[in-house]
Amino acid sequence: MSGSIDVRGLSRTFHTTVRRPGFTGALRSLVNPERVAKQAVCDISFDVAPGELLALLGPNGAGKSTTIKVLTGILTPTSGTARVAGVVPYEERERNARNIGAVFGQRTQLWWDLPVRESFAILRDIYEVPKAEHAARLKEFDDLLDLSSFWDTRVRHLSLGQRVRSDLAAALLHDPQVVFLDEPTIGMDVVVKEQVREFLRHQVEQRGRTVLLTTHDMTEVERLAERVVLINHGRLVLDGSLDEIRRRFGSTWQVRATLADAHTEVQPLPGIEVLRHEGARVVFGPASCEGADAPTVHQALKAVIERYEVTDIAIDEADLEDVMRAAYVHAEAA
Amino acid sequence: MALLHAWRTARVTPLGELHTPPRMTAVLLRLTVQVVLVASLWHGLYAHTGTTAGMDRDQAVTYAVLAVLASRLRELDQYAGRDTVLQHMHFGTIVYWYLRPLPPQRYHALRALGEQLYGFTWALGGYVVCLAAGVVQPPGSAAVAGVFALSLLLGQLVLYHVMLVLDQLCFWTVRNNAAMLILVFAQNLLSGVYAPLWFFPDWFVTMSAFLPFQATLSVPLSLYIGRIPLSDAAGQLAVQAAWVLLLFLFTRFLWRRAARRVMSQGG
Repeated sequence: MSGSIDVRGLSRTFHTTVRRPGFTGALRSLVNPERVAKQAVCDISFDVAPGELLALLGPNGAGKSTTIKVLTGILTPTSGTARVAGVVPYEERERNARNIGAVFGQRTQLWWDLPVRESFAILRDIYEVPKAEHAARLKEFDDLLDLSSFWDTRVRHLSLGQRVRSDLAAALLHDPQVVFLDEPTIGMDVVVKEQVREFLRHQVEQRGRTVLLTTHDMTEVERLAERVVLINHGRLVLDGSLDEIRRRFGSTWQVRATLADAHTEVQPLPGIEVLRHEGARVVFGPASCEGADAPTVHQALKAVIERYEVTDIAIDEADLEDVMRAAYVHAEAA
Repeated sequence: MALLHAWRTARVTPLGELHTPPRMTAVLLRLTVQVVLVASLWHGLYAHTGTTAGMDRDQAVTYAVLAVLASRLRELDQYAGRDTVLQHMHFGTIVYWYLRPLPPQRYHALRALGEQLYGFTWALGGYVVCLAAGVVQPPGSAAVAGVFALSLLLGQLVLYHVMLVLDQLCFWTVRNNAAMLILVFAQNLLSGVYAPLWFFPDWFVTMSAFLPFQATLSVPLSLYIGRIPLSDAAGQLAVQAAWVLLLFLFTRFLWRRAARRVMSQGG
């Protein structure tokens, strides 16, 4: 299917040599190396619809980059299958290359000694993009990423933010249906980050590109992703919308209410318990036994207002960072 | 379109050099110093000698100066341009070579072609100046010049493939510094850059005949100065062509194996 990603039972095992500690250990490793198999990705299945932005999340070493490398055709899976825009990437690398664009963090694909615009021209000819089309796309990217202010500068003299913006443009100049972004905004300042997010939103909403994004920046996830796939130790832990994840791992809200009458008898509400009660001030939280079925903070707010007469009310909600931390801890324990 | 991307890819190095004038100045200075010193050395060595190792003074000086000029053909500052396979492996940017609709082997070859053509313009410029100044002798005849050009081309193809093997080594070892040091020394010694192979003992010359290095430089330069007569040229060219074919097949095999081993730092 055009622009879709389909991953079924994907596994990838690496074989590495164990380096034993100390001088004797190093000698033993030299004479009798011990090889171990490390499963970086294990039986992962998910799909991404055309025009969807999916955040592939997980702690360091979870297997995110390995998954992306398989989907870009760089690595061949040990087992399982993957299709990107209808192409098996590791079997038809060149055909796949025309359908995809990729940015790997701070690793630039631009030519270090040349001005940015020269790199764009090289890529234009490699991807056989007609000149008029290239010029129009470059103008569109310039409007969004402000490239013209530095595109005559040699890559070695660019700031990190300028280089990543150039790399993003370079990855999309050939109009790929699918874009893989492996921690694209790592180390960038907030202004450039926002510019990049706006650019990505535009590419998804206006151009209909499918984007697979890995990041540790939860603000980015919150602002861009509709759906999240969480992997840990190479295994898929969760695949769902942000709301679903919040419901499952983010029930750490609190509703702080000041009652009109300090002598009101306060009772727990369905799915909501009283955490603290001091005079007129009451703090409600999700009932610990409810788990994933606990009411959302907005449902709780409504329930408290309907049941009690309050003079002041405020909510504290766990941000996505807390939610993901809880999800990682849960995945670790599992 | 294929020609266009070939042209764009090939011109990366020359363009990068043109954007870095200090590097070009350094090349000019180094080349001038090397030519002057080498010419002086061989003039000095032949001061009291008529013919040694089958070469007279003019032949020896011509050989040595041409060797210096020819060594410019693939001696660019790729490291500063962050465009060696070693660096791409180190920085993890090698992945981009596998994400383009241009096979890595073709990209590598096109980049090398551009480098060698750029180096050739330096060598040609140096040759014209040296010829005008009488430092080097012209070829004995038009036929010698033609055979020399063909032999130099084959020699550069051999050299490209030898260097390519070193680059490909990075796919297995990540680093190739030690191998590179050994190879550069072996290449300079066994191809006759330091001194024409004719000055070495017979056993050394026999051993060199089984290695590809003398095909890179010693053969074309010996043809140029007439140390190898034109009548023997066909055999020498055939040996050079055989090395090109052998190394081409070997490096093609290595590219296929390397594609399964694309690793990068992290993730």
